[in-house]
Amino acid sequence: MTKRNEKYKPTTVAWRFYVVLGVILFVYSGLVARSAYIQIIEPDMLKQQGDMRSLRTAAKTVQRGSIVDRNGDELAVSVPVETIWADPKIVMQNKALDMKEHWQALADVLDQDVNTLTSRVLRHPTKRFVYIERQVSPAMANYVRQLKIPGIHLRKESKRFYPAGEISAHLVGFTNVDDKGIEGVERVYDQLLTGTDGTRQYRKDAKGRKIEILKVEDATPPKNVQLSIDQRIQALAYKELKGAVKAFKATSGSVVVTNVHTGEILAMVNSPSYNPNNRRNTAIHRFRNRAITDFYEPGSTMKPLTVISALEFGSVDKDTIINTSPGYMRLGGRRVSDPRNYGEQSLTDILVNSSNMGTTKLALSLPKEYFLDKYFEAGFGEDTGTGLMGESSGIMHDRQRWSQIELATLSYGMGVAATPLQMARFYSTIANGGIKRTLTILKATPENEQFNKSERIFSEENTQEVVNMLEQVVNQHVEAAIVDGYRVGGKTGTAFKAMAGSYGNDYVGLFAGIAPITKPELSVVVVINEPSGDMYHGGEVAAPVFSRVMKGALHLLNIAPDKLDGANAVKVSHVKTKLVKKVEDKDNV
Amino acid sequence: MRTSGQDHQKQRTILQRIHIDIPLLIGILSLMILGLFVVYSAGGQEFGIVIRQSIRLGIALVVMFAVAQIPPMAYQKWAVAMFIVGLLMLICVLLFGHVGKGAQRWLDLGFMKFQPSEVMKLVVPITIAWFLSQYDLPAKISHIVIAFILVLLPTLLIAKQPDLGTSLLIASSGIFVIFLAGASLRLIGVCVGLASAFAPILWFFLMQDYQKQRVLTFLNPEQDPLGSGYHIIQSKIAIGSGGIHGKGWLQGTQSQLEFLPERHTDFIFAVFSEEFGLIGVSILFAVYLAIVIRGLYIAINAQQAFTKLLAGSLTLTFFVYVFVNIGMVSGLLPVVGVPLPLVSYGGTSMVTLMAGFGMIMAISTNKRVHA
Repeated sequence: MTKRNEKYKPTTVAWRFYVVLGVILFVYSGLVARSAYIQIIEPDMLKQQGDMRSLRTAAKTVQRGSIVDRNGDELAVSVPVETIWADPKIVMQNKALDMKEHWQALADVLDQDVNTLTSRVLRHPTKRFVYIERQVSPAMANYVRQLKIPGIHLRKESKRFYPAGEISAHLVGFTNVDDKGIEGVERVYDQLLTGTDGTRQYRKDAKGRKIEILKVEDATPPKNVQLSIDQRIQALAYKELKGAVKAFKATSGSVVVTNVHTGEILAMVNSPSYNPNNRRNTAIHRFRNRAITDFYEPGSTMKPLTVISALEFGSVDKDTIINTSPGYMRLGGRRVSDPRNYGEQSLTDILVNSSNMGTTKLALSLPKEYFLDKYFEAGFGEDTGTGLMGESSGIMHDRQRWSQIELATLSYGMGVAATPLQMARFYSTIANGGIKRTLTILKATPENEQFNKSERIFSEENTQEVVNMLEQVVNQHVEAAIVDGYRVGGKTGTAFKAMAGSYGNDYVGLFAGIAPITKPELSVVVVINEPSGDMYHGGEVAAPVFSRVMKGALHLLNIAPDKLDGANAVKVSHVKTKLVKKVEDKDNV
Repeated sequence: MRTSGQDHQKQRTILQRIHIDIPLLIGILSLMILGLFVVYSAGGQEFGIVIRQSIRLGIALVVMFAVAQIPPMAYQKWAVAMFIVGLLMLICVLLFGHVGKGAQRWLDLGFMKFQPSEVMKLVVPITIAWFLSQYDLPAKISHIVIAFILVLLPTLLIAKQPDLGTSLLIASSGIFVIFLAGASLRLIGVCVGLASAFAPILWFFLMQDYQKQRVLTFLNPEQDPLGSGYHIIQSKIAIGSGGIHGKGWLQGTQSQLEFLPERHTDFIFAVFSEEFGLIGVSILFAVYLAIVIRGLYIAINAQQAFTKLLAGSLTLTFFVYVFVNIGMVSGLLPVVGVPLPLVSYGGTSMVTLMAGFGMIMAISTNKRVHA
């Protein structure tokens, strides 16, 4: 106690200072390492976190555009609806669940159970957003609004309505509950229909005030999409197809109508269809746009391609006679045959009789590369250019080795598969004087470059020959396809449905045709899939549909009749000639 | 050395005469100036806040100069008296102190409010240094135990206020003296053991709910990102988003947009990091380290055990300040209210701190006089 500060022993504690210094240096390096870790290793995450706290994007939403047909008839429109949502936190704060009658009323109007309704709120009592019911009608929304339950809010949304219903369902498609296109045209042109929301990216502070605007993107307004479809033809085609599918107990069917000069698809229908306005409980296969997704062996409807290939190559001309006796032949152990011995046939006879022997002889008269090239040129093995989702390219093998029997079957449409749309494109090319175009579902406008693209694949002269032959096929062989007042041409086809590795017992009945022959305007392809009644031949099941659809389409489009020499035509001629004259005058202008 | 003392005294510079240690002063001033810039940025770019801070800094510098003039040995005489008065004041605070921000830390003297715990930051190391320097060093176990009790009394009183940060600093300042005075490594081990045993008692009987929450939050800030974890998360985001170069002065979004709480006081390091990046942080650390090394150098060269212990303890306490604050802001330590010394906005603790530096300067410049 007495020893005071005279005590002077610096050495006793000196080493402790160095220990301390060491510890300090160590701790400092720890701190520096910690900052370095946060600033160099973690900064991306933390910067992003910082941006998450301060960057906000505001979007201004706009109503989806309409889809209309070529005449402006609406196929898809947006109607205002409201969505009911709850803010559970506010509900709980206001003890709104005690308002029993109000909740009961809400449940009643929404056709929900009151307990499930309240449990949705109770399950997340601190959440700020829970959907109660989406897309309710304005009247229902008004009722809910007047219930005045605290924490129950309404939000304006829009809902798609499809006035054309099942007729155009496959083509137009539909949107999901968030108004985003998920099928058909709704999906393909989703961006155009939606426009892009204008966005403003800004930085906000902790109190939510906007500090600076970083990026402004102007909205592109939603646009309407005008389709090439003519809803009147579409409706007619659907009605006829639906009737035929039912009458012939077929599983499905498709009809495609095109304008041969522009490549516009005027109608594209499938049966069975669905109601796009109420898709609940619809079997998924009904959503399929079979005209573009399903492919079939086209069978005899392919024969005109063999004939025109032979004409193009020059191995035959229009007057060539081909001897198909004895009505059968063997190729590499396989048999090609006609139902009976047709003997000597002209090219027209080959198509009229649908002679497999005839097309086989034509095919074998060609170098196989040339023959195969014509198939590819005619658009088999490629899509038709519509840009629709799920469009199939069919099956057309691109390989080096083709045996003679394979070439022979190809010549009468087997060993190749095509969608109804691909068939429509091929027949349009024939009808268009040999000029191939891409098909489109958008109305042709001069500024759209897509419609200026065309490619001549057959000479005009040879196509004209084939067109005349197709007329003979209808006149001599397929009475069901005849259209009063018009010269029409076409070809039937009946094919076994291909199954894995072999052919089954189901048929596909097809008819593809064009009219009017004098100056072809339209092509119509009809596919009746798996008819299970007594009739299954293309000429029996598909040709009548073709005839009625073609007739209706010609009339609806005011296309002048070109068959005025027949007895029936003469009768109506003095009525019609005036009309025709008028139409022709208009055309000349 | 003693014989040449007279010559040295003649050669003493003016600075030594007015008891100023130049390296220490340069370090302190550079931190203060840096702090003014950061306070301006963090405080919403108002000149008012800079002016108020400048006044405080001025006062603190004056206090430092004044304290530096007191010969360090004088504290020895008053150590006991100061300690007893300090303890009484702490008890007064607990009995009828002024309540602010949920804690009872202030004593209202009528003309001014007074925070006795601040004074204790200086009184405790003085007392312990005085007590231990009376005997031979290294100190005996019995003395060390008494010293521990002397440290524990004010620490518990302050922890009860509650003011965890200050009690921590006071405890460490006392413990540093004990360590420097010669606690053996075995004893240190025992103390660490005791401290760990004390932790549950602290947790269940002494800590307030908000303090427990802080510790829980520290262990997992993400569990409640909008509530108690908010400070640490925002602060880490601020530090991290600075990157290597920083966003530039006045450019930090976390701080300028007021996401960061307490940004001009306890969390100013986060603002600094965001705006000046790792480069700025490294410079800041270098300045702090220079001050600490200078303080330890003065302590090692002090010629009495008392001054040696006192200077060492004050320097280490300053270091603990820095460590606890940066550790807290960068998520290494739980959030305790300790400002970043000489940089954070705020008055009382700054004055105490500068008084401590005054003592260190006095020790530095008086070493020859009484030797």
